[in-house]
Amino acid sequence: MISHDEMLDNVTAYALGLLPASEAAAVAAHMETCESCREEYRFLHPAVTALAYSAEASADPATGATAASPLMKARIMKQVRSEAAPRRTTWVWPAYAVAAACLAIAIATGLVDLSLNGKLDRDRAQSAVQAQTIADLTAPDARRHRFAGGEVLTHGDRLYLTMHGLPAPPAGHVYQAWTLAKGAKKVAPSKTFEPSAGGVAVVPLPEAATTLAAVAVSVEPAGGSMQPTTKPIALVTL
Amino acid sequence: MEEAGRLLDRVQARDAAAFEVLYDQYHRLVYGLAMRVLSDPAAAEDVTQAVFLKVWSEPRLFRGGNFGAWIARVARNRAFDLVRSRAVRAEGEFPESMPVDDALEETALARIDGERVRDALAQLPPEQREPIELGFFGGITQEQIARQTGLPLGTVKTRIRTGLRRLRSALEGAVTA
Repeated sequence: MISHDEMLDNVTAYALGLLPASEAAAVAAHMETCESCREEYRFLHPAVTALAYSAEASADPATGATAASPLMKARIMKQVRSEAAPRRTTWVWPAYAVAAACLAIAIATGLVDLSLNGKLDRDRAQSAVQAQTIADLTAPDARRHRFAGGEVLTHGDRLYLTMHGLPAPPAGHVYQAWTLAKGAKKVAPSKTFEPSAGGVAVVPLPEAATTLAAVAVSVEPAGGSMQPTTKPIALVTL
Repeated sequence: MEEAGRLLDRVQARDAAAFEVLYDQYHRLVYGLAMRVLSDPAAAEDVTQAVFLKVWSEPRLFRGGNFGAWIARVARNRAFDLVRSRAVRAEGEFPESMPVDDALEETALARIDGERVRDALAQLPPEQREPIELGFFGGITQEQIARQTGLPLGTVKTRIRTGLRRLRSALEGAVTA
């Protein structure tokens, strides 16, 4: 038979979640019948909750390693919205529309460039790249490797990464593409990029598509990294 | 701050916007706690994602009281589950059973500010603060704390209880029971 003081020690340990299951069950059973132990538990419990709050991550992502990534929210909300009750204002963007939307953006960007500078002659090289991009994105024999939030498109040796619904990267960060060559053990750094205000990115990648086994995307410090420093947000095998 | 119970009613009706408000209010608590236990950003994100998707899929698991206290408990248990699964993989056995929390009546308390709690914790003598943090964030029993510190078990228990009571008193004003 343990003393009441010892029992109060056990209630403290119980409130803190320090007890093995069997002892926790015994303390819980005791509290059913002992008002003073229940009172002690009720008194201490806010301190336990406060202890949990002492680990609360900083509100400012710039102040430290304990800040949560905004991409985590994007991932969670993506799944939640996919299961949410339909709302009048909700836009559903089927996967097959991604390439078409990216194409629209690419064309719009080209038109804006054209109307703004009116110097198409001087931009012949750039224009040729845009024409090539549009031709590749719409080619019926292009291979599309879809993933949640976009696709990797290959046409011959040319390689494009297209993404939609992409949040702006955290301050001082960019998105970076990575490629894994066939037979390679490590990914190689590819282009860094940021999505448009509408969350769309169309990124021609310089690597030869036929030499690659996979493409990945991660968030990296501005300027890019030599190897990924965060968990990839997308990984596509070709 | 919008009341959690009402938001959860809307979550029950598959309202993503209500869920987002809850996420914005509580994700730093969940992620910070998971980081403290796991010291691994990727694992802490996995725990955070699992905890919030659980809230989304089963909002009725919360039975009232203080939502912060409840979700912190879920996050801590989930983080220790991960510690346990890793230990099983790494060593083939888990040293001792994990603490469990029972669904006793929650004490209602006001929103607690992390900074203020850290200040209050810092006021505790280290010999009281350390075993509390070791147990709460390290997931080890009082017996293990006694072995690690070389102190008699009774001393460890007394220090933990004295420290927690002192923390509780220091929070008067910040906390309304």
